[in-house]
Amino acid sequence: MHSSRTEDLREFLSAVYSARIADPGKKFLVPFNRGESTFSVDVPRPFQLPSIPENRNLTEYFNAVDTHNMIVIFASMLRERRIIFTSRKLKRLSACVQSANDIIYPMIWQHIFIPVLPMSLIDYLLAPMPFLIGVPSEVLKLRKHEIGDVVILDADANTVESPYDDLNDLPKKCPSLLQISSLKKQLRNKSLGDGVSRAFLRALVQLIGGYRDALRFEPGQKVTFDEDKFIETRPLSLQPFLRKMLELQIFQQGSSDEFEFELESYCAKSGSKLKQQYKEWTSTMKKEGSAFFKSVKDKANPAMKSAVKTVKDGGKGVKSAYKGWRSRLRDNQGPHQLQNGLDGGDKPRSAPNSPTDKRRTTIAGFSAPIASYRKEAALSFKNSSVQRSYSPLSPASQPVSPDVLDTSRSASPTIEIPRIDLMNEMEDLLQLRLDTPPVDRSVAAVRSKARPKSRELQKRLPLSSPERWAFPAPRAGPVAASPPARFFLHSLNSRSAAAGTAQETQNLLQSPDDVFLSPSAPPRVPPRDAGCGRDLFGTAAPFVVGGGHSENGDPLFFVANRHSVDIVKLSPLTCSPRRKRNEHSEDLIRLDSTSDIDDFDPLKSKSSRSSSNASNQAPLSLSNPLYTYENHSVKQNGGQSTGSQQQRSNRECNRNDQDLLQEYGLDFNFSSRQNQPNFDPFNINKVNSQGQWTKFE
Amino acid sequence: MARDYDHLFKLLIIGDSGVGKSSLLLRFSDNTFTGSYITTIGVDFKIKTVHINGQKVKLQIWDTAGQERFRTITSTYYRGTHGVIVVYDVTNGESFANVKRWLHEIEQNCDLVNKVLVGNKNDTPERKVVLTEDAQRFADTMNIQLFETSAKDNINVEEMFMAITRLVLDSKLEMMKRQNVTQNDTVNLKQKNKPGKKNKCC
Repeated sequence: MHSSRTEDLREFLSAVYSARIADPGKKFLVPFNRGESTFSVDVPRPFQLPSIPENRNLTEYFNAVDTHNMIVIFASMLRERRIIFTSRKLKRLSACVQSANDIIYPMIWQHIFIPVLPMSLIDYLLAPMPFLIGVPSEVLKLRKHEIGDVVILDADANTVESPYDDLNDLPKKCPSLLQISSLKKQLRNKSLGDGVSRAFLRALVQLIGGYRDALRFEPGQKVTFDEDKFIETRPLSLQPFLRKMLELQIFQQGSSDEFEFELESYCAKSGSKLKQQYKEWTSTMKKEGSAFFKSVKDKANPAMKSAVKTVKDGGKGVKSAYKGWRSRLRDNQGPHQLQNGLDGGDKPRSAPNSPTDKRRTTIAGFSAPIASYRKEAALSFKNSSVQRSYSPLSPASQPVSPDVLDTSRSASPTIEIPRIDLMNEMEDLLQLRLDTPPVDRSVAAVRSKARPKSRELQKRLPLSSPERWAFPAPRAGPVAASPPARFFLHSLNSRSAAAGTAQETQNLLQSPDDVFLSPSAPPRVPPRDAGCGRDLFGTAAPFVVGGGHSENGDPLFFVANRHSVDIVKLSPLTCSPRRKRNEHSEDLIRLDSTSDIDDFDPLKSKSSRSSSNASNQAPLSLSNPLYTYENHSVKQNGGQSTGSQQQRSNRECNRNDQDLLQEYGLDFNFSSRQNQPNFDPFNINKVNSQGQWTKFE
Repeated sequence: MARDYDHLFKLLIIGDSGVGKSSLLLRFSDNTFTGSYITTIGVDFKIKTVHINGQKVKLQIWDTAGQERFRTITSTYYRGTHGVIVVYDVTNGESFANVKRWLHEIEQNCDLVNKVLVGNKNDTPERKVVLTEDAQRFADTMNIQLFETSAKDNINVEEMFMAITRLVLDSKLEMMKRQNVTQNDTVNLKQKNKPGKKNKCC
């Protein structure tokens, strides 16, 4: 980079120009200097709360502006004021403007947004509509008196001038904002991480997190957002503020389609990643399959026994936990219907999925990698077209799958499972004790465009169907691998109460297939269809074949069913009392294709060996769809150590984010776990919805 | 301070993409028209001074990028403006549906802002799909003025802008008059921290 020759620069620029942008979270690498050097930059990840000090914008903002003034700006943005930031330093100016915008996540500023206003456009400060504009100090001097009512933050002097009293309009009962004030103290002790942005996000969650209470749903009709009901369900102290907030463009627009659109597209991407991991896993399974089960027998047995005991003892807890897994599976794995072996017989078919058209009656299999990654496999898969063209229900993949299913079943390692007594034991146990419902992965289908019957099905929807509501409707994000467009049937006619939120949710709720796919009571396995004649286990119910801990200590379960092994990651064991039941799982061991005994020791699973890092990635990636982008990443170019470190930190913040969401009931993975089967979507008020979703203290 | 105008009004033009908002503005301010479509990025504005009843009125007319992505136009969008020009394309039924939706919304919010309804591109009758009667009926129910204009053929553009300016001027004068009468009972809009501006009438 230090070469002074212009052709080097030209060469570099053209290399940058022609290089393919890496996926978010990965490194964007551009070789230059005839391959001798590499330019590397991290591709930003979406949905990562900005953290300090990694995020330079927020760090700059936080350093320049004290928390009180940050809150004032936050309040002003929530009132859609005309807001000017000013500073002598352009870097600080744009950093502050950008991170002020980040802080209102998941809302998105809908109005004029100019990080640095050039002198020639100074007249635009006269714009009557809301704006967020960064104005260099010297530029601002010229026009200040003409601008009118405007909020001005001087980032150099750390002062805010505001003609409004937005800060006092903010509900007093907003502890998160108080927390923000104390953040400065924390800074001295340790790195803040995403504490600042999370505090603001938490404030927003407290303010508007309960918007689902106000969703109105009638069978066969659009879901609407009842503004009055929304206000009524909120604490009295919040109501005046929320009334005003409903009038915001930011609210009408920002928190719904943009947010949820991004989530949809994110999930679509993660779907293909998981597929890749699955491939790797299956290829490993083929080679190490026998070792795998040998190691299960030899080494896992004592632990498994105790696991069985634990399951027996904690039958009820596990049962409800299992529901959690199901919803988690639904949340996270929807798009990940994996169809193995599309490219012929050379690929291992350890756990092919049932084709989508059979998914209604079979337990669709899903597998995530538990084995060590093989780089070759990863790379070869990367190059295959399957990854790109993959869609669970796309016309391209669908016809292939039945054949694949048939031919592959014989080769499936899963088939070997019944030979192990332990497995039968587990299966029987789970069958008898837990009455386990099938692992339902139907969301993949539900969310897909290729479900023309979705509406029709909806009309037949039983009125009270727990499954339906357990399905993560309003957050809307995490699942769909299907093209996001499906969720944006902007029905312009529904002008009535159709806040954006409602519209989004509506579309999600109109995908009720999962109800049929996983009958609610009793959650028995539906009959197999003819194509799946061999019932190897005598039942189709999935059963736990192993458990363990992911690297950060989260319990993992491997749930086997006919065609696959699923990895179920329970949410992290944190302070929330509701999670206690998960502790039953602590005795469970983790099955791995390696015979390393360490892997079976939960305490040691935190070891940072790169192989276990790799093998632990995937389960984690199933946990929280919101911020886990990087967890899917497959290491490239041998950047192992830094990569894994990064991943660890991501995981940490990931967990924190999840905690936050769960705390306020926005984590559907979690809240649906609490939703007992009698949950009635049409009676959401009765169901203590506030307790589930929102917490005000 | 010596001013070259008696009143300064900010007007806002809203409507779907491609209905001719920028063209209307260009026709009014520069008396030009270009058939090629250049989409507005973000926001643009023109200034024109007009004379009404012997008073110099400086108009600052803000032209925004199309708002069809907005399900509703909330009051924050126009609360800094004195008048709103709501434009649809008479050859595009959807654009009319959108402005209807917005005006209903504005009406529901009881926001006191002067507005006119403008059906632009009213120059090729064979392509017209939004009938004048329908638009007029709607305008009557909303109690706003309707103008069918053509920026291309310079039909009704000047009249429309003058009409909204008059509306704004009238309401300003009326307000000033009321203020003079009952100085203490009214809320000065220029005052800081006033509740009046965003308050509902109902």
